[in-house]
Amino acid sequence: MKENEEEKSGQLVTPGEVLGKPAELKAGKGAYVSPHNNTVYASLTGFRTLTYPPPDSPDPRPTVDVTGHKAHGAVPEIGAIVIARVTKVMARMASADIMCVGPKSVREKFTGIIRQQDVRATEIDKVDMHSSFHPGDIVRALVLSLGDARAYHLSTAKDELGVVSAESAAGATMVPISWTEMQCPLTGQIEQRKVAKIGA
Amino acid sequence: MAGKISNTPATYMPSPTSQNKKMSSIFTGSDWVRPDGRGPHQCRPSFLRTGAVNYASGSAYAEFGNTKVIVSVFGPRESKKAMMYSDMGRLNCNVSYTSFATPIRGQASESKDLSSMLHKALEGAIILESFPKTTVDVFALVLESGGSELPVIISCASLALADAGIMLYDMVASVSMSCLGKNLVIDPVSEEESYQDGGLMITCMPSRNEVTQMTVTGEWSTPKIHEAMQLCLDACSKLGKIMRSCLKEAVTLPQE
Repeated sequence: MKENEEEKSGQLVTPGEVLGKPAELKAGKGAYVSPHNNTVYASLTGFRTLTYPPPDSPDPRPTVDVTGHKAHGAVPEIGAIVIARVTKVMARMASADIMCVGPKSVREKFTGIIRQQDVRATEIDKVDMHSSFHPGDIVRALVLSLGDARAYHLSTAKDELGVVSAESAAGATMVPISWTEMQCPLTGQIEQRKVAKIGA
Repeated sequence: MAGKISNTPATYMPSPTSQNKKMSSIFTGSDWVRPDGRGPHQCRPSFLRTGAVNYASGSAYAEFGNTKVIVSVFGPRESKKAMMYSDMGRLNCNVSYTSFATPIRGQASESKDLSSMLHKALEGAIILESFPKTTVDVFALVLESGGSELPVIISCASLALADAGIMLYDMVASVSMSCLGKNLVIDPVSEEESYQDGGLMITCMPSRNEVTQMTVTGEWSTPKIHEAMQLCLDACSKLGKIMRSCLKEAVTLPQE
């Protein structure tokens, strides 16, 4: 509970408490503006913190955030980078369970799919799903859209996206050797993957 | 043996007619004493705590007199596969009774009705846009039924939602009222509820001063309804304050 002591200076608020007027404040995280009576309210329990914009910005209003206490578990959003584990590879798509959204791990399971056209940026019609992913691979992907009722649509069509960790047939964690190949350190066998470029 | 059996009746039944007559004479009088000795406009003492269920994302326990309720909130989590796609989040509510909630086993009221009432009461207070495509599950369990369950469940659920960190427009407080003859009694116990001529429940967001749900049953006269609504709204705003202080306590005195 170190956090509490650090942020005790901020006032503790609960959902529905008035934070101020939108003329003086911008609603940030955990706050919202109610249009019908023109008031900024809190929507979470937490500490009220004010962030002042740099002096040269056109909008001089500070942003009010409510932070510090519990927020609900992470939910995938459009544009977020997620870490997912591949569960099933089919001819036109692969399905994956989302494990992390940005830096936060999810509390509940979310399913995503990577379609054939979203695996890489070039020659998207020649992608072979089976030489891009295998079940059990850990993939870094971008959330393209909320998808359909079943799954989120994910994409790995960027250098830094793709397989970040994979096990070989022999059961060892493989070492990436190019953007399409990974090698098993035990057997020296080379397997095909859509490899993510890490740390470049 | 056979003769003995025929002498004793196969089923036991209290004679409700004589009891009813006794009660109704008290109820028609203007100075009606409540079974628990409260004043007509006095609510039951309440006890509220968040974090009753470790396993849930958020939970709360509420005790109003003899009515004891646990609400757990799960999610936001993936909606069921059969659900249509939606840009907004969904709320799923379920109310159930323990088998020992009522003095006689299995006498609990229809919990499906309560579930949809709970859903309607909470729906308006949740910022559903904050978790698109996903579902928040609210499970309420009535441990002991001592009257006015629904308002207790609603208030407790709103506390559990706040504990789970679900974005809310405001807390939701709910209070009910019974009309017994000439008397208006707030926060009725089961006994009073069973003899009421009319019942009224108001669910409101105290700080925004908005009503999310209002249910009126039975016989009411316009001035009575007016008075009851004023009393309920006032009680809601006071209950809201208690709920806020409960949430604040949970932050300042961590129970872990």
